Formats: sequence, structure tokens, C-alpha cells
Amino acid sequence: MIEVKNLVKRYGSFAAVDDLSFTVEDGEILGFLGPNGAGKSTTMNMITGYISATEGDVIIDGYNMFDEPEKAKQCIGYLPEIPPVYPDMRVREYLGFVAELRKVPKKDRKSEIDRVMGLARVEHMQRKLIKHLSKGYRQRVGLAQALLGNPKVIILDEPTVGLDPMQISWMREFIRSLAKEHTVILSSHILFEVNAVCDRVLIINHGKKIILDTPEQIIHTIGGTEGIYVAARTDKAAVDAVLNSMEDIQTIREERVPEDGVYACSVFPKAGADIREKLFRALADAGLPVLEMRSETKTLEEVFITLTGEEGTC
Amino acid sequence: MLAVYKKEMRQAFTSIFGYIFLTFLLALFGVYTYIYNLKMGYASFAYAVSSVTTFFLFLVPMLTMRSLSEEKKQKTDQLVFTSPVSVSGIILGKYLALVTILFLAVAVVSTYPLILSKYGAVNMKVAYSNLGAFFLLGCAYLAIGLFLSALTESQIVAAIVTIIVILFTLLADVMKDMIPSDHSISVIVIGVLLLVLVALSFIMMRNKIVSAVLFVAGFGAMIGSYVMKPEIYDGFLTKLLGWFSLVSRFSDFQYGLFDATAYVYYFSIAVLFVFLTIQAIKKRRWS
Repeated sequence: MIEVKNLVKRYGSFAAVDDLSFTVEDGEILGFLGPNGAGKSTTMNMITGYISATEGDVIIDGYNMFDEPEKAKQCIGYLPEIPPVYPDMRVREYLGFVAELRKVPKKDRKSEIDRVMGLARVEHMQRKLIKHLSKGYRQRVGLAQALLGNPKVIILDEPTVGLDPMQISWMREFIRSLAKEHTVILSSHILFEVNAVCDRVLIINHGKKIILDTPEQIIHTIGGTEGIYVAARTDKAAVDAVLNSMEDIQTIREERVPEDGVYACSVFPKAGADIREKLFRALADAGLPVLEMRSETKTLEEVFITLTGEEGTC
Repeated sequence: MLAVYKKEMRQAFTSIFGYIFLTFLLALFGVYTYIYNLKMGYASFAYAVSSVTTFFLFLVPMLTMRSLSEEKKQKTDQLVFTSPVSVSGIILGKYLALVTILFLAVAVVSTYPLILSKYGAVNMKVAYSNLGAFFLLGCAYLAIGLFLSALTESQIVAAIVTIIVILFTLLADVMKDMIPSDHSISVIVIGVLLLVLVALSFIMMRNKIVSAVLFVAGFGAMIGSYVMKPEIYDGFLTKLLGWFSLVSRFSDFQYGLFDATAYVYYFSIAVLFVFLTIQAIKKRRWS
């Protein structure tokens, strides 16, 4: 379990992280979302004890990071944004060093290194110098390093940056599989990724917490009125005539024409009203052939823009 | 600590630096032993040892420039400082690895007096007390080099600053006999040093009040004592430079005297700079 209490990091008068509090339960994956420079890496560096906090506490599995750093650090495996590898070492040699550094007992070291190399799929690279590895493999070696000693808490800072699509999907699946035994914090500026992988999402901007909830709940809370997209083979006037006769409709937004002779629009009902069925019947009764009709749920991306008031960087 | 130590040793000898250091140091000892003891026929091994001390100027930064700056540059410090090892343990591991590499060279050289004694009378006490002082002087320089490498991300900057600092400690011995010793110049120099100190304190702490207090107190004390008793500043610069002159403490050994205070002095410098390195790292991460 990770408890972060009133965490503040100030550089002079600039607050990189401003009064951040949250808890991550055992076996949970928390997604850490924010635009570049929002304070994600700074927060992670404080949680892992790499830098100090100006104020506040980080408690890892009952150990306070600032009072008992060695015990707290023992519980954490950390993959920073740039994998912390030595280019002039071989993969196996590097993992051997990290295992010793992380105080894996000598008798377990060999099997533990084999285990993490298997998990991160780098066994066939174990004799290679790290400087000869591609970015994707370096990232995997960094991941293997974070898993050494089977720490309870695993912290991954933008783990999919610089990977190709195959590696990204593998990495996501792998992170999901970690949740069975580990508590995971994962940072990203890619909304889709967080949506796909995480149990809960913490959105921060300018070092402040914006919202902390499940991805579905965040969309639901911020979602507001959900639109219904309708495309029918007819013209604007016919559709407007039908819609104007209906109740519970707040606004109508004209959409781009999908093909010739088809009119498309998004219909926004009044709050709480479910007009899907009524809309279908009204259009059918008027003899307008509906080609497509679907609910438009706001994506996390739109939610993010709504919340932070700025364009997310993807 | 042991993990860091082993890694440093391995890195020194998988890269070229460890070999260059040992080769260079042993070659210098070989050349000077040949010149003084074999060719010129001096009985004392001390001449060879003291001649090599000058070359610490290049040898020390070769080993220390990468030590901490490279970790920071490659971001591997994020691994090392988030591992369950204390900062002191990490720095000590690194420092002991540096010392071990120097010790390897000294261990090889320590057989030379024995070999020489086959061909003539060698004063073993002088030879080994010299070699001991050489080793400790090296340890002191390595600690200074380690400290300077903790302050920067660039190997080159670390190396250059280390060379400048070691050069200063070498030249301090010569300079202290040449600089004027009257009190007015001493006061000016102290004033400049005080200003530098105040500026440094402001850069490190970003606290105007502390720096202002330091400024007022420093200059107040200086001007006050100068007005009341200017003669205390006589020869001050000579003394000041004397403190920094690491090599001047070496000369006694050359004349066959055993100076325990020099051993203590070198050892203290080494401890001081290892301590400062630990503080510099902690400071960097805690500010």
C-alpha cells in the first residue's frame, strides 16, 4: 500500500507538486495522468525517495520514506523515464549488480535474475552489452531491473515511451498481469493507455490533484450530457421537423456529412432523459431510414481537456 | 556498499581507465627508479617516490572524473539512490574502489625496495614511510577528485577543475614563499575570499538574510581586528597557503624523517572530502 500525504515540492517560489494526497491499495494499478511538466516525474521521484519533499509524507507498506528510507526503498521497484542502465555493462552483469544493490540474498540471485529476464523477455540478450541494445530492449532491461527482488510496489514512469506498437501492447498486458501480486503506479501522458490499463486514474496539472477515480466514473462525472449521433438518408429539413416535435431535447449539433444524400447530427437530451428509443421511433414513424445511431461517450481525452482547460499532449 | 564497490572495480577494469592509470603510474615509478636508483646510484628510494607525486595532477582526475558525474549524466543515479543503500554507503563504496586501484599500484611498487636491496643497502624505513605517505597523499587527492565530480554532470568539467585544484595544492608550496607578507595585502585577499564565501552561501542557500549576516559579520570581524591589531595579518597568506600545500608535507619524508602529522593531515583531508561528497549529494537531492 502506498500512502501519499500532503506532498509538496517547491523549487524557490515555484511549486512543482502542490499538496498532493492519495492512497493506492494493494494489488491496484493507479494511472498518473497529466500534461508534460505537470509534476508526474517529480512526484514519482519523491515516492521512490530519489528526491526529498519540501513538506508531506510518503508511506510505503508502513515505512515512512523520509524516516526509514532503506526499509521503504526495499519495497519499491522503480523504472524511471530514462532506463537507468550502464551502457558498458552486459545485461546479465547489470542485473547482477542491481540484485546485489537491492539486497537479494546471494543464493537466490541467479534464479531471481533468470526469473525477471524471463518476465521482461530479455534472456536472449543477456550476453549483450547494453549500449548495443535498441531503445525497446533497454526499456525491457529497465523493467527487469525494477522487478528484481519481487518488490511489493512497482513504479513505472512513462513505460511505453519510445516503444513500437507491438512492444507497447505487450508492455500494457504485462503491466496488467503485475497487478495480481503488486501495487503499481504508472505515469503516462497518453490517455488511452491509462484508460486501458489502470483501475483508478489520478489526473494532475500544475502539481495539483484534479481528480482521482476510476476511468468510467471520471467520464461519468464529467461527462455531463451525452450526445446521440444520428445519420439518416434524408435532408436537414426532414430531420429537424421530427426533432422539433420531440420533447426532452436540449440542443442539436450538425455533424459532417458522411456521404452524399445523408444528413448527420448529434442530439443532446436534457439532463437525465433517455431519448434513444423515442428518437428511433420518431424517425422510423416519419419514414426516415436511419443508417447509423450511437451514443457518444466523452473520451478520457475530452474529459482531460475539460478538466485541465488545456490541450493534452499526445 | 559492497555492491557499489564491486561494480566500480569491475567498471574500472572493463573500461580502459583502470589500465591506463596503473600502466601510467607503474611506468613512471619504473622510469624514476631507473634514473635515480639504478642510473644515478642514489641509495634512497624517496627521490623516485617524490618525483611521481607531481603526476597525481593527471592520474587522479583520470580515475575520479567519471565517478559521480557520469552516473548523473546517464541517469543511473536514479537507480543507485533509490536502492536500499544509504548515500554514505554508496559514496564509501565508490571511494574505496578508487583507493583500491591506487593500492594495487602501490603494492606492486612496494616490491621495488626489496629488489633494490639485493644490489645495495636500502633504508627500508625511509622507503616504506615514503611509499605510505605517497599512498595517503593519493587518497587525499582521490577524495578531492570524488568531491568535485559530485558537483557536476560533465566529466570534462570535473577533470579540469580537479587538475586546477591539484595544481593549486602543488603551487601553493612555491607561492607561499613568493607572495608579499605585509598585512594590507593580506586583508585585501581575505576580503575577496569573504566575498566569494558570501556569494557561494547565497548560491547554495538562496537566503538573503543568512548571506547578509555572513557579509556583515565577516567584514565587521575583519575590519575590527585589523584596526585593533593589524600585525595578526602579517604573514597570513603564507600560512593560509601552507594549509593547502599537500606536497610540502611530503618533503620531510624525502629527508628520511618520519612525520606522523603528515599522515594524519592526509587522512583528515581524505575524510573531510569524502564527508563533503556525501553532503553534496544529499544537498543536491534534498534542496
